[in-house]
Amino acid sequence: MWSLAYGLIALAVVAFVVLYAAAHAPNFKAVNLADQLYGAKEWLAEYLPSFPRVDVTSRFRVFVNVVRVVRANATAYVARQWVVFPVHLPMGYRLERVGENVVYQVYLNVTRCGYVALSRGEPAVLYEVELKHSLDQLPWLEVYAAVPRNVTQYYGWLYGYYAAWRRPPAVGLDPRVGADVGLVDYVKAEWALVHNATGGVTMLYVAAPPSSLYIVVVDYPLAIPLACPR
Amino acid sequence: MIALRDLIIFAGLMALAAAVIASLFPVREGPSPAPACSDCAFKLTGGYWIRQYGNYAALYLGTREAARYGWAYRADGRPLRIGENATCGTAMYLWVVDGVAYVSCDGSPPRFGRDVLGPKLPFVDVRIDSDWRTCDTTIRFEANLTEHYVVTVEVYDEEGRPVASATGTIPGSASFSIPMAGVYRVHIYAPPILDEWHTLTAQVRISDLVRARVFTSNDTQDLRPSTSLKIFDLTNYWKRGYRSVVVYVNPRKDSFTLSAPAGAFADFLLAWEDCPTCDSTYGALYVDEAWRLTFTQTDIVLTHVFSQGGYWHEVYVLDGQTLNMPGKKTLIWTWNKGGPKYSSYTVHWFSTTVWLESQDSAMNARATFSKECSWG
Repeated sequence: MWSLAYGLIALAVVAFVVLYAAAHAPNFKAVNLADQLYGAKEWLAEYLPSFPRVDVTSRFRVFVNVVRVVRANATAYVARQWVVFPVHLPMGYRLERVGENVVYQVYLNVTRCGYVALSRGEPAVLYEVELKHSLDQLPWLEVYAAVPRNVTQYYGWLYGYYAAWRRPPAVGLDPRVGADVGLVDYVKAEWALVHNATGGVTMLYVAAPPSSLYIVVVDYPLAIPLACPR
Repeated sequence: MIALRDLIIFAGLMALAAAVIASLFPVREGPSPAPACSDCAFKLTGGYWIRQYGNYAALYLGTREAARYGWAYRADGRPLRIGENATCGTAMYLWVVDGVAYVSCDGSPPRFGRDVLGPKLPFVDVRIDSDWRTCDTTIRFEANLTEHYVVTVEVYDEEGRPVASATGTIPGSASFSIPMAGVYRVHIYAPPILDEWHTLTAQVRISDLVRARVFTSNDTQDLRPSTSLKIFDLTNYWKRGYRSVVVYVNPRKDSFTLSAPAGAFADFLLAWEDCPTCDSTYGALYVDEAWRLTFTQTDIVLTHVFSQGGYWHEVYVLDGQTLNMPGKKTLIWTWNKGGPKYSSYTVHWFSTTVWLESQDSAMNARATFSKECSWG
């Protein structure tokens, strides 16, 4: 019985010593910028479909974490008849997420887009996108074009969301980015970044197949869809 | 004896433990040691300071060098010049990223990344709803804000005079009502997040005209047979502050004198001629039935002004409308025949149709009045 008491007392003494030493030992917090950056982009990717959509340019200019949209009409074949319903086309983003030590900001805005003929004679949809980025490197920039397997089927699927929500769904964004994976094929699009030393704005040029619905600019894991009204 | 032995063992163990604890205690309450790492953050107390040299930055405790870094920066991103020292009062916060040190005295972390978005405001959604019956307007503000901002809404008329104002909060709403028909400029102002102008058109739309024309001032012409009903819009006279107006309706300059209605949204005089060929000497045109149609804030009031002539007349209005009911053509006045004779009749709705009929149906006239508020 006594030895048990000694044991307990010794254990308590050792625990106190260990805890006290641990509390007073020099400690530091790890700083991992890569993790913070990934976390910021992941947060933006998660909340991207729920950000407010504005169709007034003056509001797009001052608000943060907004999507600029253009209203357009889409046609769907529902219940053996054609219906015209409004959709939103995402045209610009102003996104910001501040991590502990990282300020992640990205500004994307489609300034021009339309059909062009490439130099090899192939038709394409050329997007001219203003790109501003708070961090100079874009290590994972990839651009995909979403080519629908069946346009009517795609808009029929989108009409379901319009019917359920009674508000225009956004092409590529609703209900979330990549939800249409069974209806479209993501193909790699040709892209080029053109830096302008005097303007301070980088232009992203993307040539997408003419049948594509929208393009997706990927700064992994953040995927940003952009569409072209035409 | 067992107790004594146990006490001795216990005392020995206690002494041992006390020695161990004493050796582990940092007995000196002085500076904390600086850990060595390449990507970390820590707090240093004591007399630490940093000096920037030509190819490295050294962290000193007093005069002893504790650590070396690639370069030293302030937390706001400004690098130290060569030969510059950075010191703090009681505590120094140090972030080390890729071997480069960032010094902060108040614990604010360094941030990496340029500001490329420019001015940033939180999102405010402005939704404007006008009551379709009264033109009472509610502006709703939805925003992702934690604090409330005071918003002022000011309404100006065509000549820039303030006619209504309201205050509210963002998020929240502000409401105001439009006293009279017109085109208004609405200023929504909540510094620094909102400063917008909108146009509000509050009007009475007169449509579905049959043998009727709308005038905004006197008209003395004989417009038969195409026009049997002259509608005089008096709203602008009341808005300009006239106490009464005299409306001339025919070539003989027969007139009606009307005084300003109190609190009316819009006001009209209806002057009707019952016969296409009589009164060839321009005796008494457009005075066979004279009615006043006044839109109040919620209702439409028809008031009998004058009747004359040899034919019988019937005046009908569309009444009994509700959200789901179209209403029905109701006889409110007869002349030279039996029937209802309401000298004043109120339609509890925001739109109505007036029919003026006589035994010479060639002059039967009709007009539909409806209050409309729209945002442009």
